[in-house]
Amino acid sequence: MFDKHRDCFERFQMPCFDIARTIMTSHFRASRVQELSVTDGSLDVSDNVGERPMETIKLARAHALAGMAAMLLGSAAWSTAALAQNVSSTSTNAAATNTNAATANAATANAVGAQSNNFRGGGGGSGGGSSRGGGTDPGVRGGDPGAGGPLQGLNDTELSFFAGAKDVFQEVDAVPNGLGPRFNLDSCSGCHSHPAVGGSSPPTNPQVAIATAAGGKNTLPSFITANGPVREARFVRNPDGSPDGSVHGLFVITGRSDAPGCNIAQPNFAAQVARNNVIFRIPTPLFGLGLVENVPDSALQASLAANAQQKRSLGISGHFNINGNDTTIARFGWKAQNKSLLLFSGEAYNVEMGITNDLFQTEREGDANCQFNATPESVIPLQAADLASPSASFQSDIELFSSFMRLTAPPTPASGAAAPVAQAAGAASQTAAASTQTTGTAGQTTGTASAASTPASTASTMVASATADVSSVMTAAAGSSTAAQPASSSTSGASVTRGNQVFANIGCQACHTQSFTTTKSQLTGQSNVTIQPFSDFAVHDMGSGLADGVTQGTANGNEFRTAPLWGVGQRIFFLHDGRTKDLSVAIQQHASRGSEANTVINNYNMLSQTDQQSLINFLRSL
Amino acid sequence: MRISLYLGIAACLAGMGVVLHGAMLSSRDAGFAQSANPEDAYVTDGGFVSDYFDLSYRVPEGWAQGLAGPMPSQSGYYVLGTWVPKGDFAGTILVAAQDTFFERGSSDDVKNVVAQFRQVMSTVDGMTIDREPAQVSIAGRPGYRVDFSGVGLFRSMFAIEIRCHVVTFNLTTRDAELLTSLAGSLDSLIPVRKKTSDAIPECIRDYAADNVVHRVEPQGIGLISVPVRLIVAADGSVKHVHMIRGSAAQQRNIEDAVRQWKFKPYERQGHPVEVETGIVFNLKPASM
Repeated sequence: MFDKHRDCFERFQMPCFDIARTIMTSHFRASRVQELSVTDGSLDVSDNVGERPMETIKLARAHALAGMAAMLLGSAAWSTAALAQNVSSTSTNAAATNTNAATANAATANAVGAQSNNFRGGGGGSGGGSSRGGGTDPGVRGGDPGAGGPLQGLNDTELSFFAGAKDVFQEVDAVPNGLGPRFNLDSCSGCHSHPAVGGSSPPTNPQVAIATAAGGKNTLPSFITANGPVREARFVRNPDGSPDGSVHGLFVITGRSDAPGCNIAQPNFAAQVARNNVIFRIPTPLFGLGLVENVPDSALQASLAANAQQKRSLGISGHFNINGNDTTIARFGWKAQNKSLLLFSGEAYNVEMGITNDLFQTEREGDANCQFNATPESVIPLQAADLASPSASFQSDIELFSSFMRLTAPPTPASGAAAPVAQAAGAASQTAAASTQTTGTAGQTTGTASAASTPASTASTMVASATADVSSVMTAAAGSSTAAQPASSSTSGASVTRGNQVFANIGCQACHTQSFTTTKSQLTGQSNVTIQPFSDFAVHDMGSGLADGVTQGTANGNEFRTAPLWGVGQRIFFLHDGRTKDLSVAIQQHASRGSEANTVINNYNMLSQTDQQSLINFLRSL
Repeated sequence: MRISLYLGIAACLAGMGVVLHGAMLSSRDAGFAQSANPEDAYVTDGGFVSDYFDLSYRVPEGWAQGLAGPMPSQSGYYVLGTWVPKGDFAGTILVAAQDTFFERGSSDDVKNVVAQFRQVMSTVDGMTIDREPAQVSIAGRPGYRVDFSGVGLFRSMFAIEIRCHVVTFNLTTRDAELLTSLAGSLDSLIPVRKKTSDAIPECIRDYAADNVVHRVEPQGIGLISVPVRLIVAADGSVKHVHMIRGSAAQQRNIEDAVRQWKFKPYERQGHPVEVETGIVFNLKPASM
């Protein structure tokens, strides 16, 4: 039937690595892949991840208990986001194929990451054939983000605590406060700032200025630009070829006026870029994470199973990143590698800012001439800090950071664009487009809701008030822009509604699950709240085009957590490395060899241009 | 770069060797089919041949292989192949298989599977069920078909059960006529194995639960559930181990252990026969 003697390229029309993926027996695959990965670094080795040391967990637990006690009063804090790896991390798992990544397709022409062919990732594709032209991203939606402030319904004590936590989240640190010796920025809110404090990367990258602040002598890496995203850098492999995957600070304190005598050098990023050995992560938005934290595992599991038949018709599977210590679902970070907000905070404080703390007590840079503080540099204060909240004044920074994330409100969509971001379970009415997704989930969590003691009247305070209008989603604007777009077409409302329908029909919602309901909460008014994060919080194989080769927890180098889409209307940079500002490019980048999203993107490419535009308008309304 | 190329060619040739070897054997020896794995399909622009599922499929003229799917999932889900038109992006073909051993709550009753799928799709806003689930013949096997459409896309799903897998053919087009044409292409589905006296193994869920008479526990499983398919020989020894997913170390450790297992032989009509079954090695908390 088939000519068995034709050249493999001719026959398979894909790289030979993919042929191996497709046809090798598992036994052969295992041995072969191991052999190849060491030398070449371009095959998938999902070798497992180490296990997080128990002492870390015990410490985390101790602090969690202390933090919980404080949390009753409100404890608050943050984290520099996704940048951290926690659930062990860092064995390298090379992208399955073609990690040389220079094969940027037309879709990546506008990509931020397209500035260099030597960055990993970016070798996507539309799955063959030609689409109908695609929609145009109208750019960042205007209007109040509805995020950055506290959750609705909190009591006065909690609100006061949130205010204190937010203040600390915005503090700028220098070397005497613990900054460095290696770091990526000097504050949490510097990275997490758009469209409000707690968000993602701002339009103007603060990393450019920090490179030489206070006399610093840092050279700006090529992948850090004034109008590009805030980035952290990870090296995929060590010089000896063994897996790395860890964050390498962009900057050093050498030359700063507050770091006399320190003379360490930055990593040679130019050489690493030339070796195609650098991957990037941008900050994940932190809005609404306290609500995400409070969704029970059972609801996530039920949701993943609820539409399994539909997923199978689309080539989608997915699994959760399971924490090895307690076997519950980790859900924070680009790979869902972070189990808790506190751990997220502690790791980011040390990794991104170089500030040792209660969870991560050891300086990552050991040069004796660059140690200026006793360690850990940030601990629970024995004397009250000068914060508005008395209880917050006795919290360590990382507890305040995690509490900021826990207490900060989720984004709200444009008015009428979708169901409220959060509403009382009793009053929840599913949006039509997401009915498939929400049916199983709602059924799972209704029981929890009815068994809970929180009065519906209290929970109803969570009904979100939309702050922007659908009409602010501009249709068919010429190219994306960082500047928020004004209101435009009066037909936007219809387009957004249609886009919601398209979103469900072509299968986006199979992973970008619209809603979940929280369980009982320690916080006032936050029990049994239905939220609309548009994520299943599972990790999925996103193919060679997005693969970063870094394994974290049970997420391998090809896998990423389904990015929550709430607030995506006001996001500037997309995908884990911020490679594009264009939502239509981000959609296309979901397709590449090995991606679970290929069929959904094929469906997208088969849509009429009007429906493609509607989908993008819908997304920009979120 | 040069090293990558050499390695690529090496992997290519090695992979081809496996496939060609398998394909040639498959036409002669049913024994190979017993040790082939679900993902070992031979996929080209023109279609695919799967020894494991005993199927060959020829896609319509003018179509080419689409992007490869992901690696087998933890639940034993396989994307066996995708195809798209060479020119205008007017449709897609996705062939997939779900192992019913490892998917919680899954059924190998394709009638139920298709009925559940129909129910889910009917709740999607704007989706219309164009053809209610109905029995059809696929490659000489009984299967079910359901058609549905929405937002200008016309779709069919055909499902059959083979060796405790639900194999689906998922067709999507921009117009109903093309969908009819694509559905017709499934008539090209035929078995690939010659008839022999060797039967494929009996497919029995959870056979390992009560029938292992000698068991060696694998070491250092780690942080993930590892699904494994086994073929137990007629004498109760382990004939074939298929590690569906897991790290190289996990696969090595588990296979080393499982190869030492001994099962109670399974008999059909008084004669011992081979059994195919599944087992999941679950992660263990670090404190254990």
